Amino acid sequence: MIESAVHRGVILGGLALYGLLVLVTVEIDPARIAEGLSRTGAFFVGWLRPDFVTRWTDIRAGLLESLAMTAVATAAALLLSVPLGLGAARNLVPGPVYTTARGVLAVARAFHEILVAILFVAMFGFGPFAGVVTLVLGSVGFLGKLLAEAVEEVDPAPLEALTTAGASWGSRVVFGVLPQVMPRVMGLVLYRLDINFRESAVIGLVGAGGIGATLTTAVSRYEFESVSAILILIIGMVFGAEVIAGRLRQRLL
Amino acid sequence: MSEGRPALRIRDLVVRYGRAAPVICGVSVELDPKEIVGLIGASAAGKSTLLRAIQRLVEPESGRIFLYGLELTRLPRAELRGARRRLGMIFQEHALIERLTVMENVLAGTLGRTGFWRSVRRRFEPEDVEEAFDLLERVGLTGLEDSRCDELSGGQKQRVGIARALIQHPDVLLVDEPTASLDPATSVRIMDLITEICSERGLAAIINLHDVPLARRFCPRIIGLQDGGVVFDGPPSALDDAVLQRVYGDEAISTQADATADGETVGH
Repeated sequence: MIESAVHRGVILGGLALYGLLVLVTVEIDPARIAEGLSRTGAFFVGWLRPDFVTRWTDIRAGLLESLAMTAVATAAALLLSVPLGLGAARNLVPGPVYTTARGVLAVARAFHEILVAILFVAMFGFGPFAGVVTLVLGSVGFLGKLLAEAVEEVDPAPLEALTTAGASWGSRVVFGVLPQVMPRVMGLVLYRLDINFRESAVIGLVGAGGIGATLTTAVSRYEFESVSAILILIIGMVFGAEVIAGRLRQRLL
Repeated sequence: MSEGRPALRIRDLVVRYGRAAPVICGVSVELDPKEIVGLIGASAAGKSTLLRAIQRLVEPESGRIFLYGLELTRLPRAELRGARRRLGMIFQEHALIERLTVMENVLAGTLGRTGFWRSVRRRFEPEDVEEAFDLLERVGLTGLEDSRCDELSGGQKQRVGIARALIQHPDVLLVDEPTASLDPATSVRIMDLITEICSERGLAAIINLHDVPLARRFCPRIIGLQDGGVVFDGPPSALDDAVLQRVYGDEAISTQADATADGETVGH
């Protein structure tokens, strides 16, 4: 590939020098590697022997807290995102309203949930309240934006028909827009419920309550059997949520 | 509704979208009460735009439009809603809310006089609900009140659209290609229904039609639009090949041939 022998030599030499520097800079401690390997072993052994019993009270409390956070946050986010989503639909509102609503939604989505959770934990202290606020913010950004897009895609003909009947803006939304976007909104809310449950486990890691807090505690105590039990429960609940959501979707649409 | 005045008077109407050439350039038309006018013309002649301008779904650039003496073109937004109720519109593709029931779609026509919260809770006035039942019977949809509109056939949907326009208690019907998506036999039945209802209720109507034989058969007066201007205004008997050539240009011959081939619409 490189034709000049001199260039090839310089490049290879440079790479070798770089590798050497890296080795020197990164402290490689054989003792720590050995310790880590034994812990990896403990982790896998624990993974194979999930322990639901020892920490059951903590796990149960964590799961219930996560479920409550998920439900409260999703419901609150739905209430907030309907006006924002309608306001962020170009076919329904004048320019300034559109720009403002889009701006709010963009800010709500600007940072990853973990960052937001860290900020809110710093503001409101440890516990589920910071977690709920985090989830609401993230869900409003998500639901609001996707609702706005669904509204912008509605068939304009029925809306026009309602206009010619002399319907007010509110009645046009209730009759012409909502029935058209309802199936989509239902799907999005169910999906967001799912995301919020998983998310509640993650933001718990930075102190925002829920099953994530229980998980962090178990990890820092090296109780891998409990960690395993918690992870299995999270998987099970996400899976269960999927099944329930599927049933609901079939029923509602 | 005061007698003696024209139902609809359009004077020197000019409509354009953005900076493009005007779509309607200087149309003047008068419609007597109870008069049914068929509006024919090629697809880009401005037929739909004319109806949309009367409803002020597009704002005319200049010209004046009067509905029984009320100048629509000068109305402030707030009063426009009330005036729109008096113009019942029937649409090319029905423009129904597919996921709502037949009943809800008909009652949507009363939204101009139903308050917002009543509409949210679907608490319509009992006399409106009763009228909706009567209208559905009149258009031949008795028994389908609770069906969702996406379960209906094209002709049935158009009947719902007609009932929705009528429950507004309009003075004038604006009908945009009512048969565009229907088969020939259904088209004739729908045109029958619309014209019968107009004479029952003393409504004036402008009906956009792409189908010349259908216009001849159902409309005592025909207006031909070409490139946004009126090139013909008279009874169907005056609508000869020369006129059609003027209205449709080169399209004329093929339009006539297609329509005659339908068979269903020849017997005028």
